[in-house]
Amino acid sequence: MSTTTSPPVPGARAVPGPGAAARRRPSFSGPRLQRVLLLVLLTTAAALVALAFMLPTVWMLLGSLRPGSQVISSVSPLGWHTLVPETWTLENYAALFGQLGFGRSMANSLWVALWSVVIGLALSIPAAYVLSVLRFRGREAVFAVLVVGFMIPFEAIAIPLAQVFTEWNLNNTYLGLILPGIGNGLAIFNMRQFFLGVPISLREAALIDGASELRIMTRLYVPLSVTTIINSALLIFLAQWSSYLWPLLVISDQAKQVAPIAIARTFTDTEFNFGQMFGGALLISVVPAVLLLLLQRYFAQSVARSGEK
Amino acid sequence: MKRSTTIGVGLVLGAVLTTSACGGGADSAAGGGDGDWVIPSTDPTATIDVVGIVDPVSEGMDEVVAAFEADHPTIDVNYQYVPFDDLNSVLDSRITSKTGDPDLFWVDQPRVPALAARGYLEDLTAQFSPHTGALQEATVAASTYQDKLWSLPISNSTQLLYYNLDLLEAAGVEPPSTDPAERITWQQLKEDAATVQAEGGAANGLLLGQPNRYYQLEPLPVSAGGGVGATGEDNLTPAVDNEGWVESMTYYGSLFEDGVHPRGIPAEQTNATFLAGDTAYMVEGNWMVGKLADSDLNWGAALNPVWEGGEPATPNGSWSVGINPFSQDKEAAAVFLKWLALDGESGYAEHRPYAELPANLAGLEAYLAGPAFTGSEAGQQAAEVIAHETANTSVPRVSTVGYIEFEEILGRAFSDIANGSDPQGALQGAQQELVNAWQQYQ
Amino acid sequence: MTTVTAPDASTARPGRRRARGLGTILVFLAPAVLAILLLRIVPFVGAVRSTLFTREGVGLLAEERFSGLANYVTLFSDELFRETLVRTLVFNLVLNPLQIALAMLVALLLTQRLPARGLWRTAVFIPCTIPLVGSSIAWGVALRPDGPANGILSALGIGPQPFFTSPSQALVSIMVVASWVGIGYWMLFLIAGLNDIGEEFYEAAALDGAGRWRTFWSITLPMMRRPLLFVLVADTVANFVLFVPVQLLTNGGPENSTTLLMFDAYRRTYTYSTPNLGATSTVVLTLIMLLIVAVQFRLLRDRD
Repeated sequence: MSTTTSPPVPGARAVPGPGAAARRRPSFSGPRLQRVLLLVLLTTAAALVALAFMLPTVWMLLGSLRPGSQVISSVSPLGWHTLVPETWTLENYAALFGQLGFGRSMANSLWVALWSVVIGLALSIPAAYVLSVLRFRGREAVFAVLVVGFMIPFEAIAIPLAQVFTEWNLNNTYLGLILPGIGNGLAIFNMRQFFLGVPISLREAALIDGASELRIMTRLYVPLSVTTIINSALLIFLAQWSSYLWPLLVISDQAKQVAPIAIARTFTDTEFNFGQMFGGALLISVVPAVLLLLLQRYFAQSVARSGEK
Repeated sequence: MKRSTTIGVGLVLGAVLTTSACGGGADSAAGGGDGDWVIPSTDPTATIDVVGIVDPVSEGMDEVVAAFEADHPTIDVNYQYVPFDDLNSVLDSRITSKTGDPDLFWVDQPRVPALAARGYLEDLTAQFSPHTGALQEATVAASTYQDKLWSLPISNSTQLLYYNLDLLEAAGVEPPSTDPAERITWQQLKEDAATVQAEGGAANGLLLGQPNRYYQLEPLPVSAGGGVGATGEDNLTPAVDNEGWVESMTYYGSLFEDGVHPRGIPAEQTNATFLAGDTAYMVEGNWMVGKLADSDLNWGAALNPVWEGGEPATPNGSWSVGINPFSQDKEAAAVFLKWLALDGESGYAEHRPYAELPANLAGLEAYLAGPAFTGSEAGQQAAEVIAHETANTSVPRVSTVGYIEFEEILGRAFSDIANGSDPQGALQGAQQELVNAWQQYQ
Repeated sequence: MTTVTAPDASTARPGRRRARGLGTILVFLAPAVLAILLLRIVPFVGAVRSTLFTREGVGLLAEERFSGLANYVTLFSDELFRETLVRTLVFNLVLNPLQIALAMLVALLLTQRLPARGLWRTAVFIPCTIPLVGSSIAWGVALRPDGPANGILSALGIGPQPFFTSPSQALVSIMVVASWVGIGYWMLFLIAGLNDIGEEFYEAAALDGAGRWRTFWSITLPMMRRPLLFVLVADTVANFVLFVPVQLLTNGGPENSTTLLMFDAYRRTYTYSTPNLGATSTVVLTLIMLLIVAVQFRLLRDRD
């Protein structure tokens, strides 16, 4: 990609210096009014896009705050009450946390997803590192195996795999839920793509200074790739967080059941509680959404590039 | 170094392949059941795993289990709820792993032949056949395949014609009757529904509780003389494109074409739509009675419609419970099964607060004496209809090993017809698809 | 890990360095590769093997018998399956570029210095955090012929649309649901890529007097090659294996217009309990994906 002109400080966690802001100024030159107008225009566009994506969610949220069947009775004709409930109630959430045991299921889901992220990253980061910085015979073959790995539709292997797990006595264990989530070829692929963009000169300089590969990976590549690692973590997290078929096959103990299955309890073959179901679906979405919002500050402007001025 | 990596990976690969091959099991095609057990007179001490589609809390299955454990303290029941749509996947995975978990499981009655043919069900004929007199005959028939009893029915169902009395009165339309001599016809119903839309301000004329499902629509072709959909030995010759089917399905399509029945409303939204109060008529199962009794709708119930010039027909059937042939505790499982379906009013009907229509005769009697059926005139109408239809007009769904494909393929044809496809073409397509799908059973 | 004292590294003999390299490769790579082999590849090899067998009878307990390519013949002689194949390809050829273009557009917008940027990003991202079961059902209600979506369209002067009830609109409606879920997700990865483009490149372009459009084509897009390859491949895979909305909203209809390959495979495996045919359908699906992904890797390969 780009070549650096001067050797950077190896392993240093570079931060944009005070000069960075000053250098940006030229791109913001031009008439002040035009700049403000553009900002207003772009912000409006952003808000509209956000609204378009949020509208169905907001409708689901308001639906979860009305009594059970009103979700359907209010859809037609379209009016103010299609969106805003006539009667506000928390009964759906009370039922979710009460009789449906949603709190326990959410805690199980969180436990499983977090461990999957921890173990998954511990496996993926070194793999991605080796695949992007070291040259060795068979590298392409290994990478191809990983790519094929994430292409295989999980539904196609779920039943045979569940039978193997039964033999290994992993039924009704958290480990049985966590294991299928840890080998995530997509996460490795994602990080490899980013690691390839880190200037090779950084690593060479560190090697000359005698740093080990482990040190270079943890002190140089990981800090430079925070955004990508967060994305990979979210990738693993969401895959586990929304997993439905697998927990159904390996968990029969209600106390270990996960949240997506609890949602299925809001409908039977003749009963359907839309309010509860929307509420449950949104509760499940809250955790990753809040995580992303909190992690926004790491989505900063390129750290990698500012290290090579 | 590099070669040893390859070898290492190869070894692990080989090891796992072997394990999974054993697990996949090509050893025994026949079920594990040897039938060499009896319903014990004294309770064994055991824990049994049960998989069902009834929610432990919101539908009261926990109370059923607690009542059983109080009656039979040495048997522990580990009940697992599985969503209706996923029951098949779970059974495929668990039963074929041959560990005997679950010992007992819920069986959709029309699927009894299919599950029996797959070796998923223990033959219960020797143990339970002598006791089936306590159960409604139609439900026992639905749990039987090739003269063997494969499960015990715990519930049944029927359909009623509900109506919104306020809307009918506003349009000046006479409510349909509960008198078998004056049963309304499908043709008349469509006309009346259109009238209530025009004169009474109803948004929807008619709603079927489960649009596009065979269970719901079966009475139409049967009543029109087209039969249940399959003929021949073991019901493996599809017959869904004859005159009775085409005529009745043309009628079905016209309900949507003429705007009497709204398009695009799936089964899970119909009840709430009717309860919203702007629908004139609804044909729906007995489970609607409780919901209507709890609502403030001014409703009534009548006999199912009949095809003009045809014989009345109503659907039936619901859930049975069967024993896994690989179960390690068949005797304990049998004790639970007997208690659930046979003892007294049947433990399931007696202890489940929001019960379905019991398959047990004593249970049915007690059920129809409940407050939802005695508290109002409409409730009494419903009780009258249910008693008459279950005893006189119910027609079981087609009994065939190929039921799963049948239901799926017909469902798509019905859905296409509702969305405007040519009924004859859709049915002929389904007929051809069925011929292909059933080849594996010939 | 080997501990190395600093001055040694440069003076070490090449042989030792290579051995160390191999050890590193093994230790770093083996756990992930093993996990993927054991939990994905090996079961899949089992599935591929099962496509060469048919059952003596029905169901998973029936005995298997080697039958060569009989399952493939069964599938490919079925006209409905061939139609499904074509439909799946068209679906992906239309949807994938569209989704990525839109995700790119949103990513570009939300990497501008805007007030409350994190909030807008989260809003776009939220749909992919909602379980697909829930959002599919919600869309099903929203797109009912008498539902709120048609209410809005009518208010805008556009007549009501049949959506899932029409053979010509059902697949497009599925695409809308899939995009509502997918765009925010892919946006995240594109944002990460956009953030990685150094400010100095834009400055250089500005000095050259390049407009926004030219900057995008000559700076942004080429620099986004790696993240784009990732998103392209991942999005392709995600859309090829998508089936939950189909299962819940249209069940493949009307007139099979929404029967996609993964839904077909799922139905054969889980609804019909014919695992061998289901696996065959899956293998066909995976082969197609492999082919397409191989092309994508070639098109966007690193040129260094």
